[in-house]
Amino acid sequence: MRLSDKQYASALLIPAALFMVLFIVYPIVLLFIQSFQEVSIFAPNEGVFVGLEQYDKALSSERVGGAFLRTLIYTVIALGAEFVIGFAAALLFDSLGKKSAIPRTIFLFPLMIPPVVAGLLWRFILIDNFGILNWLLYWFGVLQDPGAISWLSNENVVLYSVAFPNIWLTTCFVALILYTGLQNVPRELLQAAKIDGANALQIFKHVILPLLRPVIAVVLIIRGIDAARTFDMIWILTEGGPSFASEIVSLQIYRTMIRYSRVGEASAVAVLFMFALLFFCILLFYSIWKPEKASK
Amino acid sequence: MVRKRIFFIIIIILIALLLVLYVAPYLYLMLTSFKASGEAVTVPPTFFPKNFTLENYSYITEFPAVMQSFVNSLVIAVISTVLAIVAAVPAAYSVTRFGTRPGRMFLIFALVTRLLPYVSIAIPFFIIMKQLGLVDTHLAVALAHTTINLPLAIWLLSSFMEGLPVEIEESAFIDGCSRLGALMRIIVPTAMSGIAVTALFCFLMSWNEFLFSLILTSVDAKTAPIAIAEFKTQYSIEWGAMSAVATVFSFPVVIFSLFMQRKIVSGMTMGAVKQ
Repeated sequence: MRLSDKQYASALLIPAALFMVLFIVYPIVLLFIQSFQEVSIFAPNEGVFVGLEQYDKALSSERVGGAFLRTLIYTVIALGAEFVIGFAAALLFDSLGKKSAIPRTIFLFPLMIPPVVAGLLWRFILIDNFGILNWLLYWFGVLQDPGAISWLSNENVVLYSVAFPNIWLTTCFVALILYTGLQNVPRELLQAAKIDGANALQIFKHVILPLLRPVIAVVLIIRGIDAARTFDMIWILTEGGPSFASEIVSLQIYRTMIRYSRVGEASAVAVLFMFALLFFCILLFYSIWKPEKASK
Repeated sequence: MVRKRIFFIIIIILIALLLVLYVAPYLYLMLTSFKASGEAVTVPPTFFPKNFTLENYSYITEFPAVMQSFVNSLVIAVISTVLAIVAAVPAAYSVTRFGTRPGRMFLIFALVTRLLPYVSIAIPFFIIMKQLGLVDTHLAVALAHTTINLPLAIWLLSSFMEGLPVEIEESAFIDGCSRLGALMRIIVPTAMSGIAVTALFCFLMSWNEFLFSLILTSVDAKTAPIAIAEFKTQYSIEWGAMSAVATVFSFPVVIFSLFMQRKIVSGMTMGAVKQ
């Protein structure tokens, strides 16, 4: 018996599809089920159906609400800094033309550095007493006293501090993608704008930015998701402390699950988190990538 | 002309500043790993070691658990890479060559999984592994990493395979090759460079992964990132030794990515941005 092309095409999908159903779809189904249950980590089969109680608990919990708010702030800080520095780097490299090959390669070196290493490194740089950042700021005369900022133990500062390794690690990725986008802007268009008397700022605003829209959307969605679901770097820097000041949603879910073994509650928050991220993607997609479709 | 020259110099200075700002932290980590014990935590801190020493590197070999975690990471990354590639090659081929409706839907589903928070999969995944009695095994962590790697591999391979000409396959059929034979003997060798890049990318994703490993392992299958993170709590904070472990763990990755950075970026965007 010979399979038709269509059947053959489907047959080739089976191994991957099987894996994804077993290890991605089924876990998500289980997550939904357990979000409606009261279930302990020690007896996962003996969940008791409690309806929407876990969601009710999660939505009325100050700690969960705080974690969502901090996730939003953290994402805005990290993404904002990466985007601004990354865009600046891309424009600098672009204005250097072909000569930018070597500095670009060097700038990209953190691309795949393990997040655990980035976390440890920044913990070392920011740590009280002998952290080198405060001493550098002191030597350059920015700070009066090398102990002036407690990066990791001051509740008002720590959410910025835990963004540092993230920014350090991923600015290069943002820069490279935007740089690639800039290379695809037709040079004739820039020439034409210049001949029409547009200055650099006008060219950037009216020619480059609109053309880069899809690339910018890709960067913001990918990096936004990655920043929002960060776990490792914050866990290593502060474990979410002091007093939850750097606890974003993924850490809160982890702690609810592993430390307090409340699977149902953790699942409910995880479901909410999943929808929040998908909503964020759709929002970005329609507001940046295809704004004309949204307005119709 | 003078204006252009000044403009050029300003750009060079800004780029140099940017590079120093981004390279210095990692350089600081490497330099710290060569400092004598105690020198890593002096007040005020120093950037360069007074005299280079390898004592931190010999010190970390005295921790068999840390050494074992490197082996675990290696084993897990290899299993996860093989699983992802074996499943992704036929899938990517099916999607690019036949473009059927289920194929396209499958590709979109793979994309959506890229947008899910890992913690939302990790929680039920842990429960499932607990029920199967697989917690703290290499297999459990490798399967978990494959949930990240497989969708990535399918997208990456699809973007590589799009460029392959149909003609070479057709001539194989004329020569009496079966369809599966053509896939194995013609497509796979032709797409080998793409497959190698994808495999390397999967390997690095697994090598770096933290959350799944943290949840799924306790002793036997503990991966290097977890062991490195625990180095701090267990033996108080020995920054010199820790920076040595961190350097050993990350330096090969840095070298790899210097050579393959463009391919890695297209992997990170799942082929959305082509170089």
